[in-house]
Amino acid sequence: MLLLGIDTATRRVGVIVANERGLLARVELGGTADAGPPRHAETLAPAIAWCCEQCGIHPSQLSAVAVGIGPGMFTGLRVGVTTAKLLAQSLRIPMIPLPSLDLLAYPLRYTHRLVVATIDARRNELYWAIYRPVPGGVQRVSDYELGSPDDLVAEIQARGEDALVCGDGALRFDSAFAPLGRRVELSGPAHASPSLTALADLALARYEREHFCTPDEVLPMYLRRSDAELEWDRKGA
Amino acid sequence: MSGLTTRDARETEAVGEAVAGQLRVGDLVVLTGDLGAGKTTFVKGLARGLGVKEAVTSPTFTIVQHYAGRLPLAHVDVYRLERIQELHDLGFEELLEHNVVVVEWGEAIARVLPPDRVQVRLAMTDAGDDERKIEIVGVGPAWSTRAAGLHEALAALRSA
Repeated sequence: MLLLGIDTATRRVGVIVANERGLLARVELGGTADAGPPRHAETLAPAIAWCCEQCGIHPSQLSAVAVGIGPGMFTGLRVGVTTAKLLAQSLRIPMIPLPSLDLLAYPLRYTHRLVVATIDARRNELYWAIYRPVPGGVQRVSDYELGSPDDLVAEIQARGEDALVCGDGALRFDSAFAPLGRRVELSGPAHASPSLTALADLALARYEREHFCTPDEVLPMYLRRSDAELEWDRKGA
Repeated sequence: MSGLTTRDARETEAVGEAVAGQLRVGDLVVLTGDLGAGKTTFVKGLARGLGVKEAVTSPTFTIVQHYAGRLPLAHVDVYRLERIQELHDLGFEELLEHNVVVVEWGEAIARVLPPDRVQVRLAMTDAGDDERKIEIVGVGPAWSTRAAGLHEALAALRSA
């Protein structure tokens, strides 16, 4: 069993190759420390090729493609999800889509606090979901949300529990959490991007249960919704 | 506000080029004007001013065109869009982080545009085929301090 995994929901491009025993290769490029323009389109395909080459495998040997579907950075998701779908389609192998917020929360499952996963949504907003650690993983106890840092702070306050906040959203808006004082700890750069070991763990578990889908069933998770129409007053003039 | 009249496409491009000299990454330029008013002509000049060597083509069908120059340029045309959702699906908010963004037909998406922007209105005149009236205004807190430079650059053009 050989798994290819991709997550591009943040500025970080992440690629793994894993078998049932764990990771064989991992590449991470970019991230919160890199201030330049995002380079998902330039780096993802070479990263996949490099991982496969260094593991001595040909893409035709892959058994499944797992992909982080966001919510997150549109520019990254477009590249990552499309690439994953194209590979799975052309290799005729199943896909395992995983919410990128789940991948952020999973490595923090050993805490006794609530885990709040956040991803920068631009426009002074963030995506988040709240999790409770349970034996062997985390259980999501909120919807996948989009809102302002103040909305999230109010949500954490309302739950009245200590919380550990991770992800690049928390890094970007760290000062917004100050009113929560010692109830909240921010997890810092080490937990800024969706975890690739979590991607492997969660995807392998799903693969064993044959809990996967076809490429046409995989869509990025977009939480920014608008039913508004453009305000055309002179179109066709 | 600066108002100019240009006699031909070459002069319209020169105005775009002069505006480009005032722009930084993260700036938004919104173009308004009927079909044929010279929006793409203006962008050609603006792109040249940003050091873009590639030929600029209309993004009506691709919706977003990227150009590499002294500053990266994203040329957006929302003419074919019907819903604000399509704009979110394009990652419009992310374009502004790393590019100079020029939007054609931008008035149709006014409600989702950030407050700081340069508004450019192009119109044909009664005088002749290629004559255009161009109004340029810097809007929002950032341009309240930067507008002077913009209008100086345009005034220099007018007297040239």
